[in-house]
Amino acid sequence: MSSILTIMTYFSYIFIVTLYAVKVVRIARMPVHLRWELYPVLHETERKYGGSYYEDLEWWKRNRQKGRVRGILFLLKDNFSMGEYFHRNRAYWLVLLPWHIGFIFIIVFHVFCFFGALAMVLGLAVSPESSSALGRFLYFSVLVTGGISFITGTFGSVGMAIKRLSDEELRTYASPQNYFNYLFTLVIFLSGLYAWYFVDPTLSEYRQFWRGLITLKPMSVETAAAFHILAFALFLIYLPFTRSIHYITKFFAYLWIRWDDRPNVPGSKIERMVEKCLNQPVSWSAPHIQSGNKWAEVVSKMPTANQKEPKGNEEEIKGKGYRQTERPTG
Amino acid sequence: MKKRLRVRDIGKRSDQLVEITPEDLLPLPDLSNQSDRETPIPQLTEDQKRQYEASLDGVVAIGIQKPKNEKEEEEFVEKFLSGLKKLLSKDDNWTFLQPLMHSLEYCARCQICNEVCPIYLASGKQEIYRPTFRSEVLRRIVRKYLKKQGKFRSKFTGNDIELNSRTIGRLAELAYRCTLCRRCAQVCPMGVDNGLISHEIRKLFSQELGIAPKELHELGTVQQLEVGSSTGITPKALENIIDFMQEEIQEKTGREIEIPVDRERADILFLQNAGEFISWPENTEAFAIIFDTLGINWTLSSELVGYDAVNYGVWYDDVQLARIAIRQAEVARKLKVKRISVGECGHAHKALLVVADRVLTGDLNIPRESAIPILEDAVCHGKIRLDPRRNDFPVTLHDPCNLVRMSGIVEPQRRILRKICPQFREMEPHGVENYCCGGGSGLAIMSSMNFQAWKETISGRMKLKQILEAFQDVLDPATHKYVCAPCSNCKGQIRDLLNSHGAWDKYGILYGGLVELIVNAMVDLEKPFIEWEWR
Repeated sequence: MSSILTIMTYFSYIFIVTLYAVKVVRIARMPVHLRWELYPVLHETERKYGGSYYEDLEWWKRNRQKGRVRGILFLLKDNFSMGEYFHRNRAYWLVLLPWHIGFIFIIVFHVFCFFGALAMVLGLAVSPESSSALGRFLYFSVLVTGGISFITGTFGSVGMAIKRLSDEELRTYASPQNYFNYLFTLVIFLSGLYAWYFVDPTLSEYRQFWRGLITLKPMSVETAAAFHILAFALFLIYLPFTRSIHYITKFFAYLWIRWDDRPNVPGSKIERMVEKCLNQPVSWSAPHIQSGNKWAEVVSKMPTANQKEPKGNEEEIKGKGYRQTERPTG
Repeated sequence: MKKRLRVRDIGKRSDQLVEITPEDLLPLPDLSNQSDRETPIPQLTEDQKRQYEASLDGVVAIGIQKPKNEKEEEEFVEKFLSGLKKLLSKDDNWTFLQPLMHSLEYCARCQICNEVCPIYLASGKQEIYRPTFRSEVLRRIVRKYLKKQGKFRSKFTGNDIELNSRTIGRLAELAYRCTLCRRCAQVCPMGVDNGLISHEIRKLFSQELGIAPKELHELGTVQQLEVGSSTGITPKALENIIDFMQEEIQEKTGREIEIPVDRERADILFLQNAGEFISWPENTEAFAIIFDTLGINWTLSSELVGYDAVNYGVWYDDVQLARIAIRQAEVARKLKVKRISVGECGHAHKALLVVADRVLTGDLNIPRESAIPILEDAVCHGKIRLDPRRNDFPVTLHDPCNLVRMSGIVEPQRRILRKICPQFREMEPHGVENYCCGGGSGLAIMSSMNFQAWKETISGRMKLKQILEAFQDVLDPATHKYVCAPCSNCKGQIRDLLNSHGAWDKYGILYGGLVELIVNAMVDLEKPFIEWEWR
């Protein structure tokens, strides 16, 4: 059993890291897109009301405010506060935040388990009585993060299921997968909570297990802890088939799309990327597009007068809005 | 209580998915002299219903002909799927692939975006107008028909949808029940953009199936590229208009001001929405007076496309967007001007300054700017002699979405108004949180069949409510009031909104641009520039 748990744990970590990496690379390798920012952009610190460099006279002669650190910090912080939900749907926030805190802390818990085990392998005592401050720190970190994760995650999983079922608006757009996810996460957090409360109050089983992972000598653990470890490994394998990576892609959405106000400066990297895209072929089939040519050729050609135009209602158009109060023109 | 519509109902066989009654609508402020009685949106004729796809909400924006037989229906579905594949390809849709994929894949279905959508709220929360509804339709089609998930996975992930000509026709119409104002995107913690999805659906129909509202395509971008302007103004007609505007400036101000055309090596090529030339020439006249006072070396162009700032491509077709932006830049290059300045036109700002920025390369990459900071510099640094007492009437500011939320030009226009309008008051909310006028993304110029009534009743309702609330303390029609809308399309929509609710007669509310207020305050002019008459 301990060997199966060890193999599953190794496999699940390798699996999730590989699939997430593939997804991230796929997003990063997408071509440069046209600008589509949305104000306010976070790095405009002097124009927090939502202004841009276009408010300046001859903006291209001035230094622009830029920098991603502020944006990254904001997004990291938002993962712990979920401010938009707090402002717009407090009841949803009350269950969503604990659910997500459960995820964040279970990851941190495992990281501390790993370092705790590593410290033990290196001969450091990890306990409340340890002579080493690091040993005491790792002991309490495992305990605190594990406890927070199991409690908030259990509360959040139940709460999310109830909220989505009881709110007609949310229920209408929910899929069976949503409810399966709540059930799955409930199993994980609740099994962790059970093992902690009834079997392993110091959470030392996990450090032992991780010690076995590091030394490649599988350690046997209590059944309740083993169940939690197995469920968590299965969950890691399942995660890439869900939208869970939004924790990471959210950063791209904000930094590469919503706050991407980088102008296309002549001779810049952006200009080179755009030129590359303009050399790609177009295969759109509408009559006004010369399919088969490159983008650059298609967009620099004027459409000819005899081509068939898109279908629209013929007789019903009253005329464009401008003309309703037409004035004499001379 | 009405039964809640499901996403899968988009393909349902029914004459009309929703029927909107006046009782459903968001109430307007309870004003003492309000004599409004809501009239329902006019019904289409039986013949129109037979001919065009109108089964979404009984309104027609595009005018899609219904397939006449099974073969036509199959072709329609196949072409749609072919376009959908191209929408997800990096060759055909490099322009928006990354934002689109993100918005398709990472919606958490939390629904918090709906409560900020003016159309959804104004309609009395009609399910079909929910920003997430149309996005969910597209997502389900992608998963079921392109990714071809098996039966179990399809059920598990909730891909319950049927693709037929009704689904496609309704989806096309639904893409034009969104003004692309992107308030929904602004509040999404995941960065999902339902406005972008509307934009991409429109593109699919235009670029693959050749389906787009006639006002945007044939009378819009195609006419602009062929005739010179989406208004139909030819270079010859432009000459007459310029003569007329020069004469009118002289009549109003006593000044002989030349509106320069095709002046080589000017500092500024001034790009004005040609709708101003026809409907509101006083706007261009005001710019001419200000530029003349400031001694700016500027010019208009008489070249095709060079005298019309509009670029409707930004709303529905990337190819047309790029063609127009390139043509405008070529005109500037030929004239050897130092920069292009865009007048009071929100979408032209977004198109030329922001979106098409990554289309213009090499020597077409000429500096492009908004004219509003020039105005701010003139007003706030005392370069024009102004007397705010000349503007001593209530003024509120409409924020065009494309100017504020999409281009980040928020404060300069406010600094001007605070300086020259003693009774300036904000609408709530305003700035980057503003509500769309209801005519955004081309809706302002679309008026086929009963679409005009839909805009006046639903998409513009929230804006009308804001305007009335901004002036609630001064509603007496004897007190003239001014809605400042620095955008041609917004002005068109606000004109129609105020007109349809009789706001000029009942409340004395007029609308206009920003420059008119500046010129109205100029101490050097004997007569007021703003004429208080309905236009």
